[in-house]
Amino acid sequence: MGIIELSKITVIRGRNKVLDGWSISVDSGEVVCLSGENGCGKSTVIEAAAGLIPLEKGSCEISGQLIRDSQGRRGRTNFGLCLQDDCIMGDELVGERILDAAGHDFDIASLLKNWGLDHRIHDRVAMLSGGQRRRIALLSGLIPAMISKEPVAILLDEPDSGLDDESVEKLSETIRNLAAGGHSILVSSHDSRIISAADRIIEFPFSETKGEPVKGKFTPIEKGNSRNSYIGHRLNLRTFSGFANNGIAGLLVLGAMLALLEPAQLEGRMLTAFILAPALAAGLCGNPIHRLSLENRSHSWWSTKSAILPHAIFHSLILCAALTILASTITSEFNLQLILAGAFIGAVTESIVGLLSQATLRLSRPNAVMIRLLTPILLLPWALVVDTLSA
Amino acid sequence: MLGLAGAGLTLGLGLMWAPSVSIDAFKAPEAQRIFYWHVPSAWAAMIAFGMLFVGSIIWFFKRSEWAWKLHVASSEASLAAGLMCVWSGCIWGAAEWGVPWDWTDVRLNTFAMLTLLSLYLVLGRRSQPDGVETRDTFAAFGMYGFILVPVTYVATRLWQIRHPGPVVATSEGSLNSDMGTVLLIGAISFTVLIIGYVMAGMRLTDLEMRLEDLQSRYEEGNR
Repeated sequence: MGIIELSKITVIRGRNKVLDGWSISVDSGEVVCLSGENGCGKSTVIEAAAGLIPLEKGSCEISGQLIRDSQGRRGRTNFGLCLQDDCIMGDELVGERILDAAGHDFDIASLLKNWGLDHRIHDRVAMLSGGQRRRIALLSGLIPAMISKEPVAILLDEPDSGLDDESVEKLSETIRNLAAGGHSILVSSHDSRIISAADRIIEFPFSETKGEPVKGKFTPIEKGNSRNSYIGHRLNLRTFSGFANNGIAGLLVLGAMLALLEPAQLEGRMLTAFILAPALAAGLCGNPIHRLSLENRSHSWWSTKSAILPHAIFHSLILCAALTILASTITSEFNLQLILAGAFIGAVTESIVGLLSQATLRLSRPNAVMIRLLTPILLLPWALVVDTLSA
Repeated sequence: MLGLAGAGLTLGLGLMWAPSVSIDAFKAPEAQRIFYWHVPSAWAAMIAFGMLFVGSIIWFFKRSEWAWKLHVASSEASLAAGLMCVWSGCIWGAAEWGVPWDWTDVRLNTFAMLTLLSLYLVLGRRSQPDGVETRDTFAAFGMYGFILVPVTYVATRLWQIRHPGPVVATSEGSLNSDMGTVLLIGAISFTVLIIGYVMAGMRLTDLEMRLEDLQSRYEEGNR
């Protein structure tokens, strides 16, 4: 059984059946290159193997772990992925991105030096040129294998696009070196240098030839302790996205209520509603990191790493608690129960709006669907909490 | 047409002939007559939501074109019936309670949410090119949204706040025979209306899909 196994997969995209009962197996130490004209289904194979596309039939496995099947079951394991889109949020730092992709600490400076990026280690990815960004995306895909002595699957979708000649040569050489280390690589490309690094070339629609690549040499990078990403919280601290989106909405609602109401005269239900309204407004703005992750389809890449997409839920709790404290201070009604309720309502509301948005990510135009139409239901639990706490 | 005629008859009988409730039972007894429109439209909306659920679930698991057409037509039907119910309820509520809406009433909110879900499905689907991704996503929303139907049904039994509880087929049996007759005519008419609406909608969706296929074939032939 191969490291990468796609068994009789059928995939429909739009109204076309792109793959129909198609299978492939990539063994340890093997490089398979998918080649063919645009739109023939190369990217579909890579994305299906990564578990990003629902399957009508069949299943995909990597290193013996089910990644996705036609019953909708999903699993995750350690593998490298570089899609046609760079899949990097502009506010990620060069160094932290590669470390997040590796999941371990290691000597990142020397790796970046090899690829001419060491001087950019602390820069935001948004500040890089297109070619540099592509190199980061590529290294993010290669690094799980580079640091592993065990065979790891690598999926690369047109990794050479946007790279200069020197980088393509280096990529071709790296692919051969990784194969020598037992890693399995499934790559799609039109570039003859990448094709020449393959043991097998599959020309779409499906003729297969054997390649005669030169042998590489693999020395794994020494890895250190495993690393927790907390990417959502880090990005939120860096961009203040939570405050700029959710916090401002809460403050505006508070300001509007102050313009219309006299806080000192409020009592009972109205007083409780006044205190809890800013947290609800902040929550209704949704997960601020979700918005960032729409950039370059980075949510797709992160979804292969974890079932839970990047978020900053602890910051949301703090922000909504702060808004509730502010409203409480204005009304002189300082109540710990209300503050906890505000924090909880805001964070839960934000998570639900985030989940609703995530549910539309598969659409070709996810921003065009009016997901906010579904948010009024969230007023009901808020109103019930207001009623309960003011009783 | 039969359904429309029946709905018109229900409105006429409800406003002109059917008795209102006793003065003591409601603050605005004349406004209560809107009940002959409000209840059948809620009934029709529930039928449409049911069909939406059936269409969604069969599309999702069987990939049936017929089921997708049912999803499309019933989402539009449930929007129409839902809006009729919410709109008539707001008018009644404004007269009876003094406010058209109560954000703490579970029945009001879950029903409005179902109507908004239909609006979301209708507008969202129009914003996307047709394809399996679009159909799967909206069918999933149709399935999950159906959770609200039983919640709406039991809402007045579990958390009655403002919305009255059931008045038909209960042990209290609070409707007199004339009221029951008009309500029955309304329920039958609205059922016919909503089923006819869904059938016409399915036919229209079928024609749209065939037109799209013909356009694609025409474009391929011109290449």
